[in-house]
Amino acid sequence: MSDTDTSQDEFKKITEELYERNLELAKLYKQVDTLNKELATANENLKALIKQRESLVHLVTHKVKGAFTRSKYIFAGMLDGSFGELGDTLRDMATKGLESDNTGIETVDLVLNADNLQKGNVKYEMKPIDFKQIVLEKIADKKIQAEAKGLALESDISPDGTYAMLGDAFWLREVVNNLIENSIRYTREGKITVGLSGGDGKILFSVKDTGVGISDEDKKILFTEGGRGKDSVKINTDSTGYGLYSVKLIIDAHKGRVWAESEGPGKGSQFYVELPAA
Amino acid sequence: MNPAARFPEIAAKIIKEQEFVIGPLAWEEARKVAGIQVVDEKKGEVTIQDADPKGIIDRLVAQYEKIFGKASHAVCHDAVKDILAQMPPEEVPASLR
Repeated sequence: MSDTDTSQDEFKKITEELYERNLELAKLYKQVDTLNKELATANENLKALIKQRESLVHLVTHKVKGAFTRSKYIFAGMLDGSFGELGDTLRDMATKGLESDNTGIETVDLVLNADNLQKGNVKYEMKPIDFKQIVLEKIADKKIQAEAKGLALESDISPDGTYAMLGDAFWLREVVNNLIENSIRYTREGKITVGLSGGDGKILFSVKDTGVGISDEDKKILFTEGGRGKDSVKINTDSTGYGLYSVKLIIDAHKGRVWAESEGPGKGSQFYVELPAA
Repeated sequence: MNPAARFPEIAAKIIKEQEFVIGPLAWEEARKVAGIQVVDEKKGEVTIQDADPKGIIDRLVAQYEKIFGKASHAVCHDAVKDILAQMPPEEVPASLR
């Protein structure tokens, strides 16, 4: 075999190898192209879904909340005598109607708040605040509700902690309120202990209860949008799955952390919020 | 559809698939095959002489295989397998059976 033949063979071999490599690349390109097209379609579907969701929220705002508000004022008017004297049965029904409407409005507000927090529509007013004050206010506020259910609401606040921080008092109040209220809802008997300690540049707020606890499965979705635990809906049929989600969004906006611990169903829960101190 | 009318489509599909792997070189090599006329490279339009369309397709496949080896033959086959599936077996060019 001459040198020319050898180099031609070499050239053909290299050309064929290059072709095979190009072919591999072309196949990969096609796969990427297909995936890109699928992704584009999924993106379009997602956009449509978000629009549908937004329009649903819009509907909730204007229709459902409006309906609740109108009937709330009817019940309130009945109770304050605007429509004349009521008998005991009617008074009882009007009281229940008013309570039900208040729950409905709270639920709608919860979903709307979560939606606004998620979309970034909430403008936080970060001001120097005393977080301890918020906690004390809410403990006082929730004590009656807890005691009405036969639960003790105790506090364990470290007296020498520092609780000054930069935050939005309105939304942090929502956080404290939500966590204490959740504990009251999910505790049938025993007590709820609200803890607060501060130091080393951090504020640690906790709510411990002797309630139904949290399964490992539910822990995974606890702070996600619409994350209603399988076990939690058995206790709280009004659960929206937006309360803890809102808590997380608010705490994230304050550069803090929120987490939950529980040894399992029936063994109580502990919710923790860690916030940066001023 | 007249099977003969399929041959320009077969040729165009093969060239375009080869173009996907080796770029414009695919059209240069196709022009070297007697009986193939490139009408519009951008649109991927070709015509084929009526005399021996199956032979022309065989030569086109061979043209690529001569330079780029067996892998290019498989690419030609894959490019037109959907068309081939609709053709009577006797009409399928030997190189693509």
